[in-house]
Amino acid sequence: MAQRIVIDPITRIEGHLRIEVEVAGGKVVNAWSSGQMFRGIEMILQGRDPRDAHHFVQRSCGV
Amino acid sequence: METEKAFYERLEGKGVSRRDFMKFCTFLTATMGLSSSFVPKVAEVFAAPAQRPPVIYLHFGECTGCTEALIRSMYPWIDELVLEILDIEYHETIMAAAGQQAEEQLHNAVKKYKGKFICVVEGAIATKFDGAYGKIGGRTFLEIAKDVIPHAAGVICIGSCSSFGNIPAAKPNPGGYKGVGEVMGIKTVNIAGCPPNGINFVGTVVNYLLLGKLPALDNLGRPVWAYGKTIHDQCPRRAHFENEEFVEQFGSEEAAMGYCLYKVGCRGPETYNNCPVAKFNDGTSWPVEAGAPCIGCSEPQFWDKFTPFYEEL
Repeated sequence: MAQRIVIDPITRIEGHLRIEVEVAGGKVVNAWSSGQMFRGIEMILQGRDPRDAHHFVQRSCGV
Repeated sequence: METEKAFYERLEGKGVSRRDFMKFCTFLTATMGLSSSFVPKVAEVFAAPAQRPPVIYLHFGECTGCTEALIRSMYPWIDELVLEILDIEYHETIMAAAGQQAEEQLHNAVKKYKGKFICVVEGAIATKFDGAYGKIGGRTFLEIAKDVIPHAAGVICIGSCSSFGNIPAAKPNPGGYKGVGEVMGIKTVNIAGCPPNGINFVGTVVNYLLLGKLPALDNLGRPVWAYGKTIHDQCPRRAHFENEEFVEQFGSEEAAMGYCLYKVGCRGPETYNNCPVAKFNDGTSWPVEAGAPCIGCSEPQFWDKFTPFYEEL
């Protein structure tokens, strides 16, 4: 029977990352990673002056 | 005296001389608008802290740029200083624990320091669909905020996201993001900026440790010593504005001569911050000095109010 391990939050990174792994017989048999935050910067950009885009998208990650 | 001696030895070990440290303290004291007689007292706050308030640092809808601005860019050893004067109980970017252990650490710190800890918040809180747009350890930002913030002695918002909502709250604000003060219905100290200058956070904390109270705030919760004047009023290009010497196009001769950036969209006249004085990256430069118009990042809703950025105000 596979055991599921969840690590959330993953620290020492930017963003809110969640890792789930399925372990069977001492081996990882399946794994998922997911970002736990949605700001929708792509949606915010729609309809704006293209010259402003870099100011928005550079703030996707500040690290 | 013993602790002071050990402090200077630790700094030495990092290649920072006592002289460098005193230079930093003088710079900080001057930026805070205190007289030079306060320099030794400011140094003492770091070297022989009488108290180290526990701090719980939360990350919500953000990019970690504020953390980076605080712990990296100003002086390579500023993180060391912050850790000397603050007892950081929880901070996702710098803590060793992850997952369940991290969550336990948060829970225990809130319990242990109930009513005593300072809560520093980076990032806005999503409110749409009960806050489902952002989660940590299976709990929404909104749940965590409601769980932790009411037990804090005070809340410092670092950056424009936690202060005012900022970029995640820009139209059409898909996640219903809002600033911490608005969501929780409380007054917060707002170290605005995207990112704010690390010195503005450090100065506010030192002010508290030195004088036992928070600095005076403006009507937006920003410390007056840092956000009391407009960029325009402190701008080294101001003379060009008065003489009507403007940059009309990037890459032009006027731009090379360092003329005023008002006509290419500078938001300096409506933006309150100390960038021209404090500067960034070890006092190296700041946007206008590098030829980029101010985008007004320490003002609420600047992503909507001040855009398109390259059009004249």
